[in-house]
Amino acid sequence: METINPDSELDETCNVNGDCTLLMKNQSMDLNHAKNIDDISTPSELKFDEDFEFEDPDVTAKRKEIEKCLENPNLVNLEQWQSFAKSKGGLIADEYRRRIWPMLVGVTQDEMTDPPSLDELSTHIEYNQVELDVKRSLKRFPPGIPYEQRVALQDQLTVLILRVIIEYPHLKYYQGYHDVAITLLLVCGDRASFPLLCRLSYGPKAPLAPFMQATMQPTQHLLNYMLPVIRRADDKLADYLDKAGVGTMFALPWYLTWFGHSLNRYSDVVRLYDYFLCAAPLFPVYVTAALVLQRAPEVFACECDMAMMHCLLSRLPDDLPFEDILVTAKKLYDENDPTDLEGEVAALERREEEARRLDEERLRQRRAVRAGGGRGAGRGAGRGGGRAWRLLPRSPFARGAVLAAAAALLAVYAYYRPDLFTRKRADGADFEGLLE
Amino acid sequence: MTESTNEHIGGLKQKKVFKIIVLGDSGVGKTCLTYRFCEGQFLDKSEATIGVDFRERTVRICNEDIKLQLWDTAGQERFRKSMVQHYYRNVHAVVIVYDVTKPETFHSIASWMQEVESHGLSGSPRVLVGNKCDCGTPESRLATAYAQRLADKHGMPLFETSALLDSEYDNVESIFMTLAHKLYSKQPLRVISVEGEPGYGVVTLPRQRRPPKSSGTDKCLCS
Ligand SMILES: Nc1nc2c(ncn2[C@@H]2O[C@H](COP(=O)(O)OP(=O)(O)OP(=O)(O)O)[C@@H](O)[C@H]2O)c(=O)[nH]1
Ligand SMILES: [Mg+2]
Repeated sequence: METINPDSELDETCNVNGDCTLLMKNQSMDLNHAKNIDDISTPSELKFDEDFEFEDPDVTAKRKEIEKCLENPNLVNLEQWQSFAKSKGGLIADEYRRRIWPMLVGVTQDEMTDPPSLDELSTHIEYNQVELDVKRSLKRFPPGIPYEQRVALQDQLTVLILRVIIEYPHLKYYQGYHDVAITLLLVCGDRASFPLLCRLSYGPKAPLAPFMQATMQPTQHLLNYMLPVIRRADDKLADYLDKAGVGTMFALPWYLTWFGHSLNRYSDVVRLYDYFLCAAPLFPVYVTAALVLQRAPEVFACECDMAMMHCLLSRLPDDLPFEDILVTAKKLYDENDPTDLEGEVAALERREEEARRLDEERLRQRRAVRAGGGRGAGRGAGRGGGRAWRLLPRSPFARGAVLAAAAALLAVYAYYRPDLFTRKRADGADFEGLLE
Repeated sequence: MTESTNEHIGGLKQKKVFKIIVLGDSGVGKTCLTYRFCEGQFLDKSEATIGVDFRERTVRICNEDIKLQLWDTAGQERFRKSMVQHYYRNVHAVVIVYDVTKPETFHSIASWMQEVESHGLSGSPRVLVGNKCDCGTPESRLATAYAQRLADKHGMPLFETSALLDSEYDNVESIFMTLAHKLYSKQPLRVISVEGEPGYGVVTLPRQRRPPKSSGTDKCLCS
């Protein structure tokens, strides 16, 4: 969460922060994680260092086992690697991940080919969007990385993304894909990342494939499993979220980027990737559910309001106990198979569809009213008129109010921005010519 | 109005909330502009917005505290249709942003306007913002007159500004304050609609310590 400013003039900020902070402090006591609330909001404080000082003895033992397996990887079966990746601590260090991630998704050495140059790809139709997102991905690089090295990595990132969408032209780039790509790139390097990213993007069970369709409809549908999963575990929480009408948007970046976009600690991101790389495609949605369940006390302390809730949930604290969350998510998955949930998801989607239909209906009525009797109201006040009509049927007061409001608004505007009005005049000279 | 007049019947304080949605192509600077308004600074490491982000700031109008909720949307086309839909609900005002150095972002305004229209918002206060006027030479930037013509056609004020320049802070401020004033002056209707629409976020605020100021260092709630 954000820096707490004791001088803040914004009372509700203090309240919300205050509440969050309190909860976060409680949480961090449970968790033995050193955490600094002030560290979260600024990109430069992205944490890359792994803390070896107090390494869990289990982790040390696991480390040894992994090293032993890596000495003779051909003798090790996939289940073994998966078990390392899923069990507590995951694959522990990037030096292991670099070798094990490709094996988890079945990428072989001969698929790792040299990338083309950026120049060859820069005419691609998505080049500008990719470039724009890559340029803004500074936060994902280790702090203090030398400038040249960062720029080189960013070029590699652009190439990596374009290579995949050139290889599979029906796959559409989405903002957030670059967050997945950079995680792979930082861990595995540019040669191995390409086949890896291809595996994740293309194929019937490819976890990123639904995100890359012509529309986001398939993604929305899959994300709709989150609330039913939450409901199975905590009815009250689900009711509260429903009541706030918070929807699923807060979790969209989590799902689209496997949390890469939303977590500040690099070590958390790669830990989650260890798991996701060998889990069911929908498993990340169960993790979003487990994460919300984990934060239930904060949710209940938050005002039951869409905006407040969206805000609270979308910002992730730094000290989330991901090992526990993963265990919960697995349990949720085992107990509530996606096929079990289809009915609930369908019901949810029907309700949403109905709400949308009502919205459209209301809009149509408003338009009809405006078209039928709007001669008095000016353009700017049209909607206000429509609303007033709906809510105060046939009240002469409403139309009067609209006109008054329109006049007042113009006056206020002119009062507030005299400079703009004069500036407009000045520019208007040649502009009036254009109009004629 | 003083604190006490904000008292609600139930003893809870309420603040009026105006929801403003910020639209425009990817990269035009929507996130930087909302950040500038809410935090008073340039966000020098902005990231692609995935879905919708939310910021807010309380401003003071006619001695009354008004909460402005800014919904900063993703510019990429694919997020628009099914995803951002939900957030148009109960929106009060619209900011459409383009990049003065990229004519194609200006040409997209037509489709953004269409979208605004399709959500029944064409009667709501709207402003057009040309951002990044610190960039390039005057000749390389889209002519103000050209933009003004479009703004007039849609009956919306035009602002040219920069989220980057500290000197433009007042100008950024006035974009949102213009909307806030417009909405405030529509208030009789606004209040009616608040009561008439379930789920409208009138936020209760216990424990107010001191009256907030209208501008300056108001902290954003969530960044
Ligand atoms: N020179 C200059 N650069 C700016 C200005 N505003 C934003 N930028 C830069 O433009 C890029 C895009 O800004 P964002 O605010 O992230 O754009 P956005 O509209 O939110 O984009 P999406 O989230 O992808 O829809 C960033 O690299 C900013 O640093 C400005 O006023 N002047
Ligand atoms: Mg943005």
